[in-house]
Amino acid sequence: MALIALILLPFLGGIFALIAGKAEPTAARIVAVVFLFCGVLALAWTYQHAEAGRWMMMTREPWAPAMGMSIILAIDGLSFIMVALSLALGLLTVVLSWNATDRAPLLHATLCWTVAASNGVFLAFDLVLLAFFWELMLVPSFLLIAIWGHGDREAAAIKFLIYNAIAGLGLLAAVFWIGASGPTVSFDAFEVAERGLPPTAQIWLLLGFALAFMVKLPVPPFHAWLPDAHTQAPTVGSILLAGLLLKTGAYGLFRFPTLLFPQGMEVLAPYGLILGAFGTIYGALVACGQTDAKRLVAYTSVAHMSVVLMGICGGVHFSLMGAGIIMVAHAFSASALFLLIGAVYDRVHTRDLRELGGLQRSAPRFAAAFALFFSATLAMPGTANFLGEALVITGMFQVNWLYASITLVSLVVSVVYGTRLFQRIVFGTPRKAQVTVDLSFRELGPVVVLAIGTLLFGVLPQFLMTGLDPAVNSAVEALRAATP
Amino acid sequence: MATMGLEPLAVLGLAAVIAMAISPRASDGTTRSIAALGLIAALILAAGSQGALTSALLTGDAAARFGTGLCCLSGLAALAILRPASAPREAPALILLATLGASVLSGAAHAATLFVGLELVTLALIALTVLPRSAPALEAGYKLLILGGIGAATLLMGLAFAFAATGELTFAAWSSTDRLVALGAALLLAGLAFKFSLVPFHMWTPDIFSGAPAAAAIVAGVASKVGVAIVLLRLQPQMPATGIWQTGLAALGIASVVLGNLQALRQPSLPRMLGFSSIAHSGYLALILASGAADTAQAVLFYIATYAPALFAALAAAAILDRDANLTGLRGLVWAQPLTGAVLTLALLSLAGLPLAVGFWAKFQLFSALAQAGTYGLLAVAILGSAAGLYFYLRFTVTLFRRDGVDFPRPPHWQEAAVLLAAAATIVGLGVYPGPLYALVTASLP
Repeated sequence: MALIALILLPFLGGIFALIAGKAEPTAARIVAVVFLFCGVLALAWTYQHAEAGRWMMMTREPWAPAMGMSIILAIDGLSFIMVALSLALGLLTVVLSWNATDRAPLLHATLCWTVAASNGVFLAFDLVLLAFFWELMLVPSFLLIAIWGHGDREAAAIKFLIYNAIAGLGLLAAVFWIGASGPTVSFDAFEVAERGLPPTAQIWLLLGFALAFMVKLPVPPFHAWLPDAHTQAPTVGSILLAGLLLKTGAYGLFRFPTLLFPQGMEVLAPYGLILGAFGTIYGALVACGQTDAKRLVAYTSVAHMSVVLMGICGGVHFSLMGAGIIMVAHAFSASALFLLIGAVYDRVHTRDLRELGGLQRSAPRFAAAFALFFSATLAMPGTANFLGEALVITGMFQVNWLYASITLVSLVVSVVYGTRLFQRIVFGTPRKAQVTVDLSFRELGPVVVLAIGTLLFGVLPQFLMTGLDPAVNSAVEALRAATP
Repeated sequence: MATMGLEPLAVLGLAAVIAMAISPRASDGTTRSIAALGLIAALILAAGSQGALTSALLTGDAAARFGTGLCCLSGLAALAILRPASAPREAPALILLATLGASVLSGAAHAATLFVGLELVTLALIALTVLPRSAPALEAGYKLLILGGIGAATLLMGLAFAFAATGELTFAAWSSTDRLVALGAALLLAGLAFKFSLVPFHMWTPDIFSGAPAAAAIVAGVASKVGVAIVLLRLQPQMPATGIWQTGLAALGIASVVLGNLQALRQPSLPRMLGFSSIAHSGYLALILASGAADTAQAVLFYIATYAPALFAALAAAAILDRDANLTGLRGLVWAQPLTGAVLTLALLSLAGLPLAVGFWAKFQLFSALAQAGTYGLLAVAILGSAAGLYFYLRFTVTLFRRDGVDFPRPPHWQEAAVLLAAAATIVGLGVYPGPLYALVTASLP
């Protein structure tokens, strides 16, 4: 039941926030925080009552048995970390939008719903339930962009939803094929994994799953929605997109291909490596040419998530572990950068790198925070990002030195865009727009939390690694068993 | 109580006669109340009766009762969004007649009842369409009259061929492998495709949606479709498996999905977009029928039942906004009229097949039926169709949330609000927990 509560609490939090906001606009945010915090408590409860073995906890409830569907939720270290991340980012975004005045109750409700749907993705092991949450997740994010976005938000919102929903159709079609393939209609991922699917079918099914996951990740050439969505989204929307939505794609790739289609993964992983290698160089190079700070960070996300794809497709212990750590580290660093750029934008209404500058004199706290998270994006030792990238590269050397070198090159390029962004915003003299007001305490809180996360997991990765271990091990074993 | 399963039809007929008889004298409210009472009574009877009379002409089996129930619901929705301005007093009686016709169709087991049911729907629909006597309504009415007439003639010809070959008028006649029967089957399919608004027999549909009162669109979009779909389901097992029937359905379905979605893409008017989308949705149903999947019947009935509330809600919103129901007129509706805007959003998301709305499960049934039958070509068409559909539904959805809102003519009337609320509750309720509907559908197979 605790697992169901992890999805239901944020969802109800959204509904009650909306109701409370009708009577008293300020009540909405309190309700949202309370419900998200209860979610954190429920998560703590699952940790306390974790069972020994591969899965910390598992729940099976009937849903629509006649249609072959049930509610199957399970949590292991990987899911636990992801759910913790989603609740944390949910709380963070609510706090960050504490003083929002524009339709604030609906904003807070939408944030809660995004968290609820992504928690669903991280916990679902009935494939229909997975597809359900997968598509459900799009709706609140769509609203976030369409209602509170900047500029041409309608077009960006439609583009975001169309890209992802169409990719979701691939997942949906694959899920139905799987459901219909067994002796009885069943969408239970564990049962399907046990039964095994025919190897040739696995390739097609994996393509369907991978389409959905890679568009969400996103890996070039499926990334075109991301820069627009990020640029037009409000700050909290960007944070949830970068910190949470992209991670659902990474989580999906991490979890399901090796669980359901190990043989298919064996065949397709090399192509995934090529896509990832291309993506990481492409994303990094395009990031170098951006003048809009948010677009720049969006493209760095493309580069980093491509590294995650490489780590997953590498299929060895180090690379998978590295991919898992990048997932968390990137959630922190990208969220923080979007937060900071959003804060700059709130003050001077521009994100154009040609107009900004001189932060270090007028706003030292800003400058310090930027410095930390730039170092994180270019994988400076001491940050969790470094650890992840280093592990992926180590793993890549076990797979193929070429890919390892490509990853290294992308790290070099990341220094180029990182220092460019840093130099343009932090150093120099203020050009057109000068930031005179430093980070407020309300902004500083989330920044400090993200900074602590980045540094803590950078020097003490044990908690993350122990958590990821079971998922990494079963992925490696599944691939080993599938190798002819 | 030993019943025959035909009481709902009797009640509907009686209510139609009463409503017609009193309409010249009685007030608008009285006529409407009598019509509503008749529809509710028929609905209760359809839900409650157990018997399954099977005569040569009509059956009162579970599928017929399911169809009748859905027709009554659409009749109620049509009645509720009928506006006095465009609705002379005869309208409630016409809605009842159309509902009766569609209900007869869903119980038809014989060429005669098939034809009578179809014509009852079409004639009542034509009258309902031209009631406002505006130019667009008259145009829609003429199109329906002429095209419907051609459709009826084609259908009759098909029935005649089958009768000539077999001397049989029940549906069993179609299982003959005679050449003449195959020709008849093609004509029959064409005739039914007119009523089911499948491309290339669809021309009247967008006009009904945009020109006629929204009530007529509900009858055309749900009631008549339910009836025809059940007829198709009953005919399906009789038809030779590899024949003109399956091929024809597949061709009509592909054409409808492609053309319906394409034409809806750039459509600025909400009702007209719904008209084209209704063609596309008919196409999906035809694809399911053509696939020959084991649970075709479940999937078809489920699909229509999930399509109905979304269409009710969307058309109710269109009726409230009247002429402003287009991309410019809908701007900021969510902020100006939260109820109408939110429910319209839900309806559009449901039509687009996104989760938490029941449309997701409709898409689920569609894809799973096509995947189970192994008809991957049709599955690809369905996927591409729903991908295109996302764009035009979302285009309207996004508009509803714009900030540069416009002034809206009027808040919803209580009856319209009731339709909106009931539709929203159905869309979300079944969207979260689709089991009961699936169970109902499984118990209602023909």
